[in-house]
Amino acid sequence: MNQAAREEVMTLNVGPQHPSTHGVLRLVVQMQGEKVLAVEPVIGYLHTGFEKNMENRTYLQDLTYTPRMDYLHSFAHDFAYALSVEKLIGAQVPPRAQTIRIMLNELHRICSYLVFVGTGLLDLGALTPFFYAFRERDTILDLFEWVTGLRFHHNYMRIGGVKEDLPPEFMPELKKFTDTFSSHIDDYEAMFAQSPIFLARARGVGIIPPDVAINYGLSGGNLRASGVNYDVRKAYPYGGYDTYNFEVPLGQAGDVWDRFLIRIREMRQSLKIVQQAMERLEPGPVRDPNPHVALPPRQLLETSMEAVIYHFKLVTEGYHPIRGEVYVPTESARGELGYYIISDGGSMPYRVKVRAPSFVNLQSLPVAAEGLQFADLISVVASLDPVLGDVDR
Amino acid sequence: MRIDTARELAKSQGLEWEESFDKLTLLVGREVCKELFLSLYQVGFNYLPDIVGIDYLSYPDRQPERFALVYELVSLPGYQDGDGSRFFAKVFVPETDPAVPTVSDIWHSANWLEREIYDLFGISFTGHPNLRKILTPEDLEGYPLRKDFPLGETPTLFKEGRFIDPAAFRAGLSGKDPGLTGWRGGMRQQGEEAWSAIQRALKIESGGKG
Repeated sequence: MNQAAREEVMTLNVGPQHPSTHGVLRLVVQMQGEKVLAVEPVIGYLHTGFEKNMENRTYLQDLTYTPRMDYLHSFAHDFAYALSVEKLIGAQVPPRAQTIRIMLNELHRICSYLVFVGTGLLDLGALTPFFYAFRERDTILDLFEWVTGLRFHHNYMRIGGVKEDLPPEFMPELKKFTDTFSSHIDDYEAMFAQSPIFLARARGVGIIPPDVAINYGLSGGNLRASGVNYDVRKAYPYGGYDTYNFEVPLGQAGDVWDRFLIRIREMRQSLKIVQQAMERLEPGPVRDPNPHVALPPRQLLETSMEAVIYHFKLVTEGYHPIRGEVYVPTESARGELGYYIISDGGSMPYRVKVRAPSFVNLQSLPVAAEGLQFADLISVVASLDPVLGDVDR
Repeated sequence: MRIDTARELAKSQGLEWEESFDKLTLLVGREVCKELFLSLYQVGFNYLPDIVGIDYLSYPDRQPERFALVYELVSLPGYQDGDGSRFFAKVFVPETDPAVPTVSDIWHSANWLEREIYDLFGISFTGHPNLRKILTPEDLEGYPLRKDFPLGETPTLFKEGRFIDPAAFRAGLSGKDPGLTGWRGGMRQQGEEAWSAIQRALKIESGGKG
């Protein structure tokens, strides 16, 4: 091959419809042979204008939009939105509802990490872990179906609590799952962590140093893989997380291997939180008893005129919070997530801004992938774990 | 705590704070914001997780200017001597000259966040290395998150007269109308022709049965 052909720079278009982009992500890659010179992510294919829509619906109706953004860890979005609105209107969440929220949030986090491990390794050519991870994920989705009636967009969160109490069959089923899941995590780890093929593909690939990671606003597992001990659940506890005992696993190098291993270790911690929540689950109300905040129990509507009036006022009009701006940071499976809500005193939020972790995380892809082989670019995209619904909103 | 350093810094410049739901917000003038952000970065606010764009057009309380940007500044706990101080800085932007100096050279995370605000609010950031649309289609006109952007049944305008008529769009989805997107000024005819051409082609492919 002559010199000119060797130095020729080629532009390669990846996506938007491509199996390894985890959604509708387009990458414009400048390549010299197999070497990646520059990557430019092109996003916006899933932009649906959720923020604009939410400004034109009542606070209660907006709960139908929140899970549609990050569809893999949608419970975190419901949680973050509910926390912000509860702060705005001063709702009190009963202890049982708090415990249920944290239990299901961590369960869904495990569910999201299982997709990450399964599909991420699938991108590297490992087919087997995908089937094992999705087997357990299906069990979790079944558990959610017990509680909420739906497998994906649960719509289980309510301002001031949750929709209804857990069904009696749920806890024994959950117990069965948590008893066996720990050994399944060992299985996943054994399946890839020390495999020479995976090590060659992941060790020292796509390194993001900690200071660069912070400057690029990375959060979640991607930031912790770089060795930065920042977990919103520990740093700014919300919803009762400060009463649970768990650790924050940290990586060292900030490469693809660390980003995979961090998620495996975090699954163990999430499982620990689920087990603690199961132990401390006491009977009690699951919604704020204040009729100005939460809908009255369904059976009361048949006997009480008051209940009907409160129900009607809440469903048609909702809340009128005082004017102000509120923000509560939370930790989703992808990083720091929060809803910046501005109230103008009306029954619809004046402005809702979603701090979407995937959107900010994806910015660091060009830094992580520069100078790598093209095949490594795919593993870097997988390791950053973007959910395109969360990126584009 | 770094928040005290920020307080002193703000005091020396005569800036005011406001508090809303345990959330501290520093009100910064547009002219001094770049300098202030640089000195805040130097005293250890090393993390910029979010920038929020706001259009106060129909807000009941009177605001100094129509637009505002809210920068979230964090001294990241868990790295070196970060202590977790977190506050917001609000910069008002006038409608007549919607431009703010970029902070993407201080915090790289601002790069896409500023592009998003440019795309959805039409506020430009001077000195930004790559200020282009990021979320909406290339040819969408207007800034969707401004309060005067049309909603609902209003046709959505694109460049060169292309528009989406909601009623025709819905009819197109149900297969009763060739609709989908139309063109201002008689271009719908062409759409109908294209539609019948597709129907004809489908018929031929299915061997005249369909």
